[in-house]
Amino acid sequence: MAHIRPYLMKQILSDFGSAAVFEVTGLKKNYDDGNVQALRGVDLKIDQGEFVAITGPSGCGKSTLLQMLGALDSPNDGTLNYRGKSLPGLADLAAYRAKEIGIIFQAFHLLPTFTAVENVQLPMFESDRPASERKDQAISLLKAVGLEHRINHFPTKLSGGERQRVAIARSLANGPSVLLADEPTGNLDSENAHIILDLIIRLHREQNMTLVLVTHDLTIAARASRTIQMMDGRILSDNNATS
Amino acid sequence: MTFFTVIVRGLMRRPVRTGLTLVGISIGIAAVVALVGISRGFEQSWSKGMKARGTDIVVSNMGNALAPKPFNSSLRDSIVSLPKIAATCGLFVDLTSIESSSMTIVSAREWGGFAWQSLNLVSGRLPKDAMEPVVVLGQNAAEVLKKKLGDPIQIEAKELTVVGIVDGGALVENGSVILSLPLYQKISSNEGKINIIDIRATPGLNEEDIKKLCAEINVLIPEARAMPAGDNVGNSQAYKFISAMSWGTSLLAVIVGVLGVMNTMLMTVFERKQEICILLAIGWRRARIIRMVLLESALLGLLGGIGGVMIGSIGVKVLERMPAIHGLLEPDLSPRLMAISVAISVIVGVISGLYPAWRSSRLKPSLAMQG
Repeated sequence: MAHIRPYLMKQILSDFGSAAVFEVTGLKKNYDDGNVQALRGVDLKIDQGEFVAITGPSGCGKSTLLQMLGALDSPNDGTLNYRGKSLPGLADLAAYRAKEIGIIFQAFHLLPTFTAVENVQLPMFESDRPASERKDQAISLLKAVGLEHRINHFPTKLSGGERQRVAIARSLANGPSVLLADEPTGNLDSENAHIILDLIIRLHREQNMTLVLVTHDLTIAARASRTIQMMDGRILSDNNATS
Repeated sequence: MTFFTVIVRGLMRRPVRTGLTLVGISIGIAAVVALVGISRGFEQSWSKGMKARGTDIVVSNMGNALAPKPFNSSLRDSIVSLPKIAATCGLFVDLTSIESSSMTIVSAREWGGFAWQSLNLVSGRLPKDAMEPVVVLGQNAAEVLKKKLGDPIQIEAKELTVVGIVDGGALVENGSVILSLPLYQKISSNEGKINIIDIRATPGLNEEDIKKLCAEINVLIPEARAMPAGDNVGNSQAYKFISAMSWGTSLLAVIVGVLGVMNTMLMTVFERKQEICILLAIGWRRARIIRMVLLESALLGLLGGIGGVMIGSIGVKVLERMPAIHGLLEPDLSPRLMAISVAISVIVGVISGLYPAWRSSRLKPSLAMQG
């Protein structure tokens, strides 16, 4: 198996080519046997290096859309392509989640029994890197988010802003080309919220990553190059003239 | 950080619960070690005792009792003339209560028979003749019965005198009260009866020859059964019953262990539902999640097994020193039994983890977004 997986990944990556990062058409997602329609036909195209903010009130479907883009759940209808390939049809969705995307959660979601440096290493278990290399990479990522002095601290000993910075470092563990962030500043005070947002935007620019950020905060959305507003499972407005 | 670190951290998440689960498995495995070790040790002790007496074949009727059933001593006459038999010795071996000891081996031996030759006098002397009202005690028996040379000892209704302390070379021999067969037949009203014939085969016979000789004897004496020394106890109904009871009780203990580990692992999976979903969301494969849960439960089994072997061994050693059974037990605490016990424990761990692992693999990564 060990020699098949890298081969498959290489195949997938080469097949992805240079098409739009995400191409979504008529995407629908139902819950509770169809009684709840979270997405009611979403059409969307996101290009490499874009910073897209998805806004809207609670229950409008913005987090559900992010779940679909992150392959955390599968749609009921419509097409969802990642770099020209059907995302739900990918043979190895775990590899997609591990290597293609990085996810930042609102509640940080660090594992409490692991230190900062260990939390950052967790996504790297699906790569073939040796333990020492994983650790070195995790330390350098924590340095990049300004936490080199907190690497051996458990999450309970870190402030909210520090936890989110660890989570950001974790999301970058395998060098993704897409960053998906679900209300990344939602659990932070305004000062830390600015620091975290600046950090995410800096990483997006430095590494030319595609950034899709879900937020209900319009001041945060205003910093994005493109804002999509959702309502009742549909896109209400999209300020991107080309999409 | 290695994958093993992840496994250990998973168990250390709830140290008290993990500790209590380990205690549960350890007790189950301790029961396996103690019960099976004692029952196997019982068989081996008798086997060693017979070998110490220089016996190749034992003729007895073990039936359903721990001590063999008596039969006429004249039966011995029908086999003494067989070729390949060098010597025979009639015995009457009984398990009975003597004074303060609730269970003591009484080994009455044909006067002048070869079973006396293996006894090494530690102090005192052997009986002077077949009817002298005296006994010799194995070293452990003297200790358990708290007897020394010259002390009286009550056997059945007769008071005899301790004249010698002997080393018989095996636990069964050293735990016995030894006296002359005619004397015991008289005081126990078993005149003309024996319940064991020890046979020495002519030198140079191999295992196959011994088995053939047993078959010949069995044709001549249908009232009893000849078996190679050591096999007779293991083949007795009583021993088989004890052995089955030991394994049965152990199995129950192991089942309790399985339920304990399964409960712990299910609780762990339930409690860590969101953590598992986060791991799936950041790219862990379901196979890795399954491996994590199974390895955690296997590690619980391994640690519980090691703890169980330690508790079982210590427990048996304590049991061995209890006055009621001191000198009767020589438990088999062989590395093989310990390895089997630990292996059982690891298997228990893995089996217990199967359902929780399956449950954990069914979780959806999207649940990570909740909460």
